[in-house]
Amino acid sequence: MITCKNIRKTYPLGRRDKQALRGIDFHIGKGERVGFLGRNGAGKSTLIRLIGGVELPTAGRIERRMSVSWPLAFSGGFQGSLTGYDNARFIARIYGREYREIRDFVEDFAELGHYMKMPVKTYSSGMKARLAFGLSLAIDFDCYLIDEVIAVGDHRFQEKCKRELFEKRADRALILASHSAGLVREYCERAMVLSDGFGVMHDQIDAALEAYDRL
Amino acid sequence: MSVFAQGLRIQGRVIGALMMRELLTRFGRHNIGFLWIMVEPLLFAVLVGIVWNFMWGATKHGLGVMSFVVSGYIPLVLFRQSVNRAAGLFQANGGLMYHRQIKVLDFVLVRFLIELIGCMIAYLFIATLLMGLGLFPVPYDLGFILLGFLYFAFFVLAMCCILAPLSETSEVVEKFLPVVTYLTIPFSGAFTLAEWLTPAARNATLIFPPVHAMEMMRYGIYGHAITPHFDYVYPLIVNAALLSIGLLLCRRVRGMLVVE
Repeated sequence: MITCKNIRKTYPLGRRDKQALRGIDFHIGKGERVGFLGRNGAGKSTLIRLIGGVELPTAGRIERRMSVSWPLAFSGGFQGSLTGYDNARFIARIYGREYREIRDFVEDFAELGHYMKMPVKTYSSGMKARLAFGLSLAIDFDCYLIDEVIAVGDHRFQEKCKRELFEKRADRALILASHSAGLVREYCERAMVLSDGFGVMHDQIDAALEAYDRL
Repeated sequence: MSVFAQGLRIQGRVIGALMMRELLTRFGRHNIGFLWIMVEPLLFAVLVGIVWNFMWGATKHGLGVMSFVVSGYIPLVLFRQSVNRAAGLFQANGGLMYHRQIKVLDFVLVRFLIELIGCMIAYLFIATLLMGLGLFPVPYDLGFILLGFLYFAFFVLAMCCILAPLSETSEVVEKFLPVVTYLTIPFSGAFTLAEWLTPAARNATLIFPPVHAMEMMRYGIYGHAITPHFDYVYPLIVNAALLSIGLLLCRRVRGMLVVE
């Protein structure tokens, strides 16, 4: 489970501070699939990064009682000048996994072919997403943090993600940040609507989408 | 397994992986690869040694100029390279903060360790070579050289821990760092011995911990041909204090770090 208590995040912005999050509380249990809905700049990505531990909250506590993936997003998590294979090797090392297993899984899942031998900075965003998903699925976390990035994949990739995440790993938790109501309805059981740094959790997905529409 | 032992194991794994990655991104897989880490200090020391040889003749205060320059310059290269590479370290590695087991201190430690290993190999190589040519004395006491090197490395690490977070928060520190590393040369004890100075100047330079380290190394090399001036406890206390400040600064900057 993941528990967030009164999370606040402030960024320095000139003389004044920008309050990105102003006190977020929620709890996510094992196997729950939760969406973060909000317009651009509502604080979805910031919240995901805090949960993933990429940045630290200005105030509040985040407790992680299950293994949580790094945020799968458009950037971050990789070294652009290194090849796909090198990144896979690095990830395998820091997570203490067997490189060969990780490599085989990623080759099969991401279908990047000879691009695995190319620097990651040459990848398209769809290819980066495939690599990130492949690696994090190979590591096998209890909870996956997905920041929008699932939307960039083509149909075939989305089908694959669904199969891996919903069928083979139906007991895993998932947090999906998106501004797309369609994606959240498709992947999540409940959702938090974020606006202006505040968040309201709706236990019914329809109620969440309705609230999001009203924004 | 205790939590501490497990944490230690994870950090060991992370540092190993980061070192491999750093070597790969810095030196690539081509030509001599990471042997480059020892070429830089090697070239520095040899070229400066040759130039000084012409400027001052082969000996200075009865000591071989070549061996004196090399034994002073290699630790200095360690200091300069480490400190310069510590600048802007966190922004450059920000993408790696996506993985929670990687801590900001790992970055500092990894870059420092790479420089340390490079300089040690370079030192060993060049000293052996010069000894074969009769330009470097057979060390009087290897233990003192090693001890001095460790004291020096401790100081460098502490400075890296301070300057890496400072360069992140202050542009002035970042821009002036290369200049400052040059200005520190007189305070490093690299090109003077404490015994050559007036008592007042000697006491002033001995405020700086690396001077003690340098004196230890010089004593290890030349033995009783020189009169070394150093203390065992004083530099340890200063270095430990510097390191504590550095650790606090690193901790503070982690909370402010904005990752792309």
